[in-house]
Amino acid sequence: MNLSRSFSRRSVTVGLVAAALGLGSAVAIAAQTQIFDPITRKWIDYDRKKAHKYYAAHKQVPEAFRRQVVKFRTAERPGTIIIDGNQHFLYLVQPGHKAIRYGIGVGREGFGWAGIVKIGRTAEWPTWTPPAEMVARDPNAAKWAGGMPGGPDNPLGARALYLYEGGRDTIYRIHGTPEPWTIGLDVSSGCIRMNNDDIVHLHERVQVGAKVIVLMQGAALYKGV
Amino acid sequence: MQHKARSGRSGSVAAALASAALAVALSACATSDPEPDQRARTTLNTAPADLQLLCAGAAAEATGAPGDKVLPVSSRQLDSQNYQVEVDANGQRTSCIVDSDGNVKSVQPV
Repeated sequence: MNLSRSFSRRSVTVGLVAAALGLGSAVAIAAQTQIFDPITRKWIDYDRKKAHKYYAAHKQVPEAFRRQVVKFRTAERPGTIIIDGNQHFLYLVQPGHKAIRYGIGVGREGFGWAGIVKIGRTAEWPTWTPPAEMVARDPNAAKWAGGMPGGPDNPLGARALYLYEGGRDTIYRIHGTPEPWTIGLDVSSGCIRMNNDDIVHLHERVQVGAKVIVLMQGAALYKGV
Repeated sequence: MQHKARSGRSGSVAAALASAALAVALSACATSDPEPDQRARTTLNTAPADLQLLCAGAAAEATGAPGDKVLPVSSRQLDSQNYQVEVDANGQRTSCIVDSDGNVKSVQPV
């Protein structure tokens, strides 16, 4: 497909123009998460600060981002994973036009991607090894360049599902997180994060080889299509 | 007796109609809150994922592209019932209209 090439070129062009103008990511498609406040009956912007405050008060994320079974009309086979990066939901397709819906955190602006990939392998309490480009730009990642052992503080959380394209690791994962309040936000470097209970729940239900469709309007990169 | 019975029935019908009219009037005034599972959104207003995939399936059928090379790339809400989904089908751009009940109304090349 010409899509990845044309979008990559456009992303590079947009990035260069943005850098030249000092706009940073302001030219990317901005999508603000909002949650409905049943007391004021208004939609309010939901950012990292509000998310942290909400989690501190309720010990869980807003109801829409909690695990639940929903109606899902699709011809995709049960066991397929559909990720709606814009709306921050991951669906695990079930029989009978149903899906288990989980809340997720996704790539921040410039790090969002879309495509069709597969689960290549999975791991419990995985070791986190930051990719070279992350080591280069992030001093916190650099100290773990040799690998951070699995555990409650590990950025990959309790489980990781490794996403492959054509039999090769994409470097993207669906994984847990020690920062559960970030569910519902655009925060990552392109990985899909879930709270640890949810990634354990998902891990128990997926098969290696399962199809993963990632939908992301305004994606900076396309994989597998 | 027959007249009384008829009058009683018409009274009940009138009362029922009045209740129904009141209910309609009240519901017209009230703003319904979203269900708890719908109380999150983003400002992008993209189509629900399942509707995007229904369009992808329709685009694959219309273009003959293999299913693993067909991906929705953008979408928007047209009105309260309909969404437009742009699909890349192995390099061919198609525009699909789907309603909120999952009925694909059209698939056209862009």
